[in-house]
Amino acid sequence: MILRDQIARSGRNLRNAKARTLLTAAAIAVGTFALTLTLAASNGATAFVNKIIAENFDPAELIVARDKTIFGNAGDATKPREYDPSFGTGVSNSGATTQIKRVTDEDITLIKRVANVINVREDITVNLRYITREDQKRFVASLAAFSPAQKPTLLAGKIGEGGIIGKNAVLLPEGYVKALGFKSADDAIGKEITASVTKSLASGAADIAALGAGVNSPADLAKLSEQASVERTLKIAAVTKKPTTAQPGTELYLYADAATARELNDITTQGTSNYRKYTYVFAKVKGGENEATLKAAQEELKKKGFAVQSVKEAQEFLTSIIAILQGIVAAFAAIAIIASVFGIVNTMYISVLQRTREIGLMKALGMRKRDIGRLFRFEAAWIGFIGGIVGSLIAVGLGYALNPWITKSLDLGTGNALLIFKPFEIAQLVVALMIVSILAGWLPSRKAAKLDPIEALRTE
Amino acid sequence: MLEAKNITKTYGKDESAFTALYKVNLLLPEGTTAAVIGKSGSGKSTLMHIMSGLDHPTEGTVLVDGKSLQSMKQREMDAFRSQKMSFIFQAFFVEANQTCYQNVMLPLEIAKVGRRDRKKHVLEALTAVGLEDKVNVLAGNLSGGQKQRLAIARAIVNKPKLIFADEPTGNLDSTTGDIIIKLLFELNRKLGCTLVIVTHDPELAERCKIQVHMKDGEISQTFGLDEAKTKVKDKKTTKTAPKRKGGKK
Repeated sequence: MILRDQIARSGRNLRNAKARTLLTAAAIAVGTFALTLTLAASNGATAFVNKIIAENFDPAELIVARDKTIFGNAGDATKPREYDPSFGTGVSNSGATTQIKRVTDEDITLIKRVANVINVREDITVNLRYITREDQKRFVASLAAFSPAQKPTLLAGKIGEGGIIGKNAVLLPEGYVKALGFKSADDAIGKEITASVTKSLASGAADIAALGAGVNSPADLAKLSEQASVERTLKIAAVTKKPTTAQPGTELYLYADAATARELNDITTQGTSNYRKYTYVFAKVKGGENEATLKAAQEELKKKGFAVQSVKEAQEFLTSIIAILQGIVAAFAAIAIIASVFGIVNTMYISVLQRTREIGLMKALGMRKRDIGRLFRFEAAWIGFIGGIVGSLIAVGLGYALNPWITKSLDLGTGNALLIFKPFEIAQLVVALMIVSILAGWLPSRKAAKLDPIEALRTE
Repeated sequence: MLEAKNITKTYGKDESAFTALYKVNLLLPEGTTAAVIGKSGSGKSTLMHIMSGLDHPTEGTVLVDGKSLQSMKQREMDAFRSQKMSFIFQAFFVEANQTCYQNVMLPLEIAKVGRRDRKKHVLEALTAVGLEDKVNVLAGNLSGGQKQRLAIARAIVNKPKLIFADEPTGNLDSTTGDIIIKLLFELNRKLGCTLVIVTHDPELAERCKIQVHMKDGEISQTFGLDEAKTKVKDKKTTKTAPKRKGGKK
């Protein structure tokens, strides 16, 4: 019997037992559904992480910190740690606000001495009191140092060669354009905005001391804080499109050159434990695209007591978390599939029993043992195929239906999807299920092949 | 030419041994019609199974056109069965869930007949049994007589040389049975195939050219075998068949 006839005939046999087939396939479909979604979710998460990193970080840069807890090495924080002046307030990898060792100016000098390090860029984020413009409302805002590795989409204006924005110039997110009363992004270019920065208590100490005596009411307090802040005028160099792959929470950041950011940062931190200290800095390594060169610089920095992570490692750390979660869900899905395998074995045994006479007839008509076994194995494969297709199609359908909602509720940014389905991957999954089903159908099909035709024909 | 030589079939061993056939010899010329008659348990079905290669004799050989079935490998045997012979059963054994077309197609699929030729063969076979208007009807929706006609169509679609019919009219009323018998003989004439009918219906047997009477695992009487020279052996007088114990299943 030729393959095509066997496949067709086994398919027809299944059609004659629709309920049984579909129920057995349904069990497989459940497992497939879960597996397909797991794969899709991990694809989506990996793609998202990769995109964020690719669009925000320079692979030739090393992330250098003084405190190992930054990179998830929590061991350091479980014991009392001796004070030294490099401690400042920071956020550890776990998200807890704590005292961490920060990178100081001396450290930066040290880092710069490392072979091939050509530039050190501090990671600076300043919480502005507000930004505003004549006759406009005030809006809270944050400003960060711009990294040349960032690739924002510009709606208007431009960024200079090598990521230079210019002294006292900023990149304004499009979200502020209308709020600040500009007609359009183009309208905003070259215009000035006012940024208000609160002085640190230490830097404004004299003013506060002078005013402090008269503070009796909230109104006084507001007046006080007004006077304890300074204003800077910033020119809008470009307007950035709302990013789809910014680090979450940074979508509305204003960006300025490192020098400008540092100056504003100094105002807010002067006299505090965080003055001129940074959670981490980025060390640009010459030829850092080459893994060996980067590794050499990384080792040297580690010897000097820094905690160092390459962008790639940061990426791997994130994707490995995804892989672990994916593994757990996949294991449950696999259990569902194993359970459904027994369903197939059972169904196939019933099928053989029901068709004992037919098997006898086929044998009497000269059908070969091998072909009879195959007929039943194909039947099992069909069940796996149907289950796989149904399960994955439901998963894909649901994924496409839910993706916009998930993207919105997780704030992933337009154009990003949590669930990414790869047709080839799904095809592989279905093929794997068919193979599993064939294995499940092995014993029943052997029973069919071994039936004695005379006995089989006697069965009423 | 179909020849059974010294066929003995024993079930079980030693004490509980049961001899279903004992030294049966039979020679049927090509294109003949033969009826194997006997009571239930006389060994006629066993003889048919052995002559068709479905069952193996304990001793003896079956020769089809001089070739011994017993010397064939399973593979050859399967090919032989799919190309040279076919069966008709008392209980029809048509697949109720499949259409007439699909039922008749089965032997062609097994014999790996090319897809292009199949349709022609199937329609020819269905036309030969008068079911040309039921091509796409499910076999389960046919009457008993139609089912048997369908089974006959399935049996002749490969143009076999040998057709074994096991009580072909057993499940049918006499009128319908008559139609089936007429059809079988007509096909025998037209196709020139050898027809072996196992039956206990004497009327049906009489219409065959050869009648072989079976009793207790041996051929007791034959008619119409003059030209075939079946050797009903001298053994008949010196009957040494072992005692038959118990009834045949």
